Amino acid sequence: MSSLIVLALAYTLLSNASRFIDVDQLPDPLRSTLRPDVLPPTQALVQAIVDLVRGPEKQPPPDEPAHMHHHVHTSDHVGVLLQQGVTLQTSLLITTGRVLFGMVVGAPLGILIGLLIGLSRRVDDYVHPIYVLVRSIPPLALITYIMLWLGHTEAHRLIPIVYAVATTMVIPTYHGVRDLASTYLVAARSLGARGWLLLRRVLLPAAGPAVLSGLRYALAIAWMTAVGSEMLMADNGMGNLIVGGGMWASRFQTRSDPAVVMVGILALAAAGWLMDSGARLLTIRLTRWAR
Amino acid sequence: MSLVQRNRIKRALLSLGAIAVVYGIAAEIGRWVLPHRIWMDVHYIDNVELLPTYESLAEELAFLIQSWILPSSILVSTGRILAGFLLGSVVGIVVGLATGRAARLEYVADPWTTLLRFTPALALLPLYVIWFGYGEASKILLIATSVAVVAMLGAHQAVRGVPQVYLDAARALGASPRLIFRKIVLPAAFPQIFASLRVALALAWVTIVVAELIDAKMPSLGYLLALAGAYPRVPQMLIGLATIGALVFLSDMLALSLHAKVTRWMRRTG
Repeated sequence: MSSLIVLALAYTLLSNASRFIDVDQLPDPLRSTLRPDVLPPTQALVQAIVDLVRGPEKQPPPDEPAHMHHHVHTSDHVGVLLQQGVTLQTSLLITTGRVLFGMVVGAPLGILIGLLIGLSRRVDDYVHPIYVLVRSIPPLALITYIMLWLGHTEAHRLIPIVYAVATTMVIPTYHGVRDLASTYLVAARSLGARGWLLLRRVLLPAAGPAVLSGLRYALAIAWMTAVGSEMLMADNGMGNLIVGGGMWASRFQTRSDPAVVMVGILALAAAGWLMDSGARLLTIRLTRWAR
Repeated sequence: MSLVQRNRIKRALLSLGAIAVVYGIAAEIGRWVLPHRIWMDVHYIDNVELLPTYESLAEELAFLIQSWILPSSILVSTGRILAGFLLGSVVGIVVGLATGRAARLEYVADPWTTLLRFTPALALLPLYVIWFGYGEASKILLIATSVAVVAMLGAHQAVRGVPQVYLDAARALGASPRLIFRKIVLPAAFPQIFASLRVALALAWVTIVVAELIDAKMPSLGYLLALAGAYPRVPQMLIGLATIGALVFLSDMLALSLHAKVTRWMRRTG
């Protein structure tokens, strides 16, 4: 905790260096690093948060030109976002929703495939090569192709996430089932366990820890895919907030404001950390019997 | 080659062949059934083959190879991956080993590593573009970052996972900390570090494709995909996807065989 405070203080000092010292006199790597558009000062970060959380509610009176009412720090980037009615909390909610959708649909799918190819050697022989084929294609590269099929809808933002989660979940499930000590299996079988009973009481609990740790990894992948697909092809969500609106090829046309990008990254990291903590607690709870 | 292995290869070829045949038939049917005119948000596009036949795929492939677009794209993208991967894995492993060994260092580095760990690497792209410009540097550094985070976590946990008994025994026999690090910690941590590098390699490919899609400049695989999407030219799109898939698969195979080779000294089961 104390190292966090030190870190924040150090950042404030560094980013405000241009006020206290004449940056132009420093040797080059330092001089170009300490520019305010490289390390936005802490107050700019706070300003960006305040602007983005409050949203586009404040309308300037009609008799005065709009630019006079803007804050000193409010940049083009924030301006564009506010014009679109984007706020930090709605963007975060939308992205979280997409991530959750990807997990809810993709994880059972991946676990099912993992169970199938893990349980039967014959199915494994036939299906594993196809799985490797599918897994090798990065989900985000699929976006344009999906768009041709389904048009410009929510689907081509959600499908890559589902795809990424499902392909990630197959391997831990597969290994969880495969690496199960065969003594358990033989013992259970010789005691007469078959079918559903074998699956429920022996295989699933044994594969559980591997599946749960796979879930945590899939969660990280889902966040990354969601943000990536939003950066490429969405007009809402955190990815859109970071690159500052615009569509497809025109992305990055507006000059990005480093303060907004940093605020976005911090928000994403916090959300990712929260979700991961939840998953970790769940893991501890569900695998309590193992210790 | 054992009988079981031969059987597996036969089945793999059988199922992949079945997929190829099914695709071929679907494409032939699709030529008549699927629409050739597509509504794309603001305008119609004509002459779209949603499922290109093998014939048009082969034509496109020949064109892309002859015009040297595909080979140069592969070279450029692979070069970026290699540069970013080398940089990121070296930095990540060194930091991970250091924080794994020294508790005080870990205390200092912990907020940073937590922040980096939960940041989706792609979200850093706009920041890197502001810092380092549109060129090569921001792409390579982005790959390096995503690789470094995974490698760092892997190395850190690998060092922490070395059984305390080994360390105690070595210390009791009078080994110096340096000797312990070289002869015990490094070999014991090695397999897990390598495994994390394999994950990082796959992640690097995901990163590069998006970085190149967003800032599409000649020639790269992401650019190829972006161009194919803009026309849209489906055969080129599918060839781009297949090329990326093949490269991901190849690099993974390479990592896997390297892993098997360098950990041969370990006793393994199955």
